[in-house]
Amino acid sequence: MTRHFFISRGIVTAALLCLLPAAIFAQNNGGPRMDHENTLPPTPTGPTPRTADGHPDLTGLWNGLADNLLGVPNQMHNVGIEVGTDTARDIHSGAQIGTWPLQSRTHQNSEQSERAATLLRRMGSNRPIYKPQYWQRVKDFDANSNEEDPSNNCMPAGVPRMGVPSYIAQTPTYLVFVYPGQGGLIATATSYRMIPTDGRKHTNLEDLDGTWNGEAIGHWEGDTMVVDTIGFNSTSWFDQLGGYFHSENMHVIERFHRDGNTLTWTATVEDPDVLLEPWTTTPRVALLNPDTKAILPESLPCSERDFAHVVTKEHH
Amino acid sequence: MRRGTTKALARMALVTLAFAALFSQRAAGQSNSSNSSAAAKTATARAVDNPSGSNSSDVAKTLKTAAEAIGLARWSGVGGQHLPEVDVINTMEIWGSCTTDGPVQSNKPGEAGPASKIEFHAALGYNPPAMRVEMTSTGPGAPRHTIEVVRDNYAWDESEIGAGLIPGKGTATPAMAAVNKRLLQLWILPYGVIKAALAAGDKARVTTEKGATVITFPLSGLLADVMVKATLDAKYEVAKVETRTDNPALADLITETEYFDYKDHGEIATDVMSPGHIRWKQGGHPVMDLQVKMLDANNPYLVFPVPENVKQAAAR
Repeated sequence: MTRHFFISRGIVTAALLCLLPAAIFAQNNGGPRMDHENTLPPTPTGPTPRTADGHPDLTGLWNGLADNLLGVPNQMHNVGIEVGTDTARDIHSGAQIGTWPLQSRTHQNSEQSERAATLLRRMGSNRPIYKPQYWQRVKDFDANSNEEDPSNNCMPAGVPRMGVPSYIAQTPTYLVFVYPGQGGLIATATSYRMIPTDGRKHTNLEDLDGTWNGEAIGHWEGDTMVVDTIGFNSTSWFDQLGGYFHSENMHVIERFHRDGNTLTWTATVEDPDVLLEPWTTTPRVALLNPDTKAILPESLPCSERDFAHVVTKEHH
Repeated sequence: MRRGTTKALARMALVTLAFAALFSQRAAGQSNSSNSSAAAKTATARAVDNPSGSNSSDVAKTLKTAAEAIGLARWSGVGGQHLPEVDVINTMEIWGSCTTDGPVQSNKPGEAGPASKIEFHAALGYNPPAMRVEMTSTGPGAPRHTIEVVRDNYAWDESEIGAGLIPGKGTATPAMAAVNKRLLQLWILPYGVIKAALAAGDKARVTTEKGATVITFPLSGLLADVMVKATLDAKYEVAKVETRTDNPALADLITETEYFDYKDHGEIATDVMSPGHIRWKQGGHPVMDLQVKMLDANNPYLVFPVPENVKQAAAR
């Protein structure tokens, strides 16, 4: 019992320690931050630059609240929980959420803090509606995510779980998205996508080998870049948390809209094999890195979890 | 066999009736809300020692302490050092069992019949407000299984989990008359009490009664004319909840629910404290005693989509 307690505590501590160097490094470079004073989307400022063909230019390093698994405020933003100084609401349902002032918070230790984090990350109301025969499976996957989460084995997070790319390069005929991996126990592998925007059509689904990122094709709808992706394997989960599995027939439509120095991203998941209805993520708003000389740091290596030493179901 | 089945059905009917009676005052009192509501509020106020003893500061302080006592008000140091505490509870599941016996099931008048065990499983959420209660009789005779669901302004019974969502997969029977009584079950749970008291704002009062802290407040929405009186124990956990409704025929009848033996009953530790024993009373007499086996408060994947035929029935 005591051994289990220390191992469990050790895992939590190790996870936090593994996150810190990346977070500190990133903050020094104007990159993604782990800590925030609220989870509200950033207010856009400045003009929206355009390319020679008249489309908004999405090129740049994008971070801010919509980064990946870096800190609870980011994840609360991602699931649609807007927390201000003394108010909170779920933007999907509009429900007001009880809050208590920062100044009067009760002390808690790191274990209590981590347990609170698992609740905070899951409190949003915007949940995909699976067919009833899959409700228990989703619940079990999430409850057992220490062992079941495919990303724990350094597999790619896949689309749309990767969320907003940290870097976008835009040419007249294609986009390049870069998703840096995160090391430590919150392990995601580095990934990239090359997305044609030259008007080509999708390959027949039957002719595609299912992959983590699928076959993506982009096109403009007004000032919004729409990236349409098919041809997945069924190994990934489609949101950061929740055990949201999918079939090989998943179809993902991502929308990117730039407004000044902000980039709003949503993904709609269609999968009639397992979902009752299409599901759309809560909009995530990324902020342009203002440092024009900033570059993406090298990702820490992905490290697989040592399942032999995971003794509880406590998880992120 | 047939007699055993009949007995089992009778016991289930008794339990159902007990629940219905316990929560039926509100449904019956819908027609004349405001006057009766005022009467209920007056009656509740008379019951306390110092009805004028609270101000908004007392209420806020009490609710914060109570929210922290059951692990509802939380914050996380994993990036959330600068965020206020928020109400982290949305979805949860409760598993429990209770034993009932009653003289009407006995072959000999005045003698209690054989005990019938009821397995109880509730899946619930507060955003949106929804609850699915399964009860399975495992006493003598054929097992009987009921599934009662409520979400927002809709109530229905399911022949199986998620019935009526996919053609040919079970039957969803509208039960609109049961909306209020089912919603009330949600709001008299300890978490519902704190949330509803917070939502009541200036209408919530804190007093002391026989040395115990008491919170009184009106519910809202469909239950706007229901007054709740919640008594806290020394640890500020909700120990007793009494409701009064606007039904003149039942104006003096107090529904009462007692909660005992708080601890974290989750397989995955969350630090959310939940009662291990729930006792429903009516007219001062026990109606049902529930021993909680497990409570998963980790905001599990629980959804409550409303079947189309239920929406249509409600529209009629």
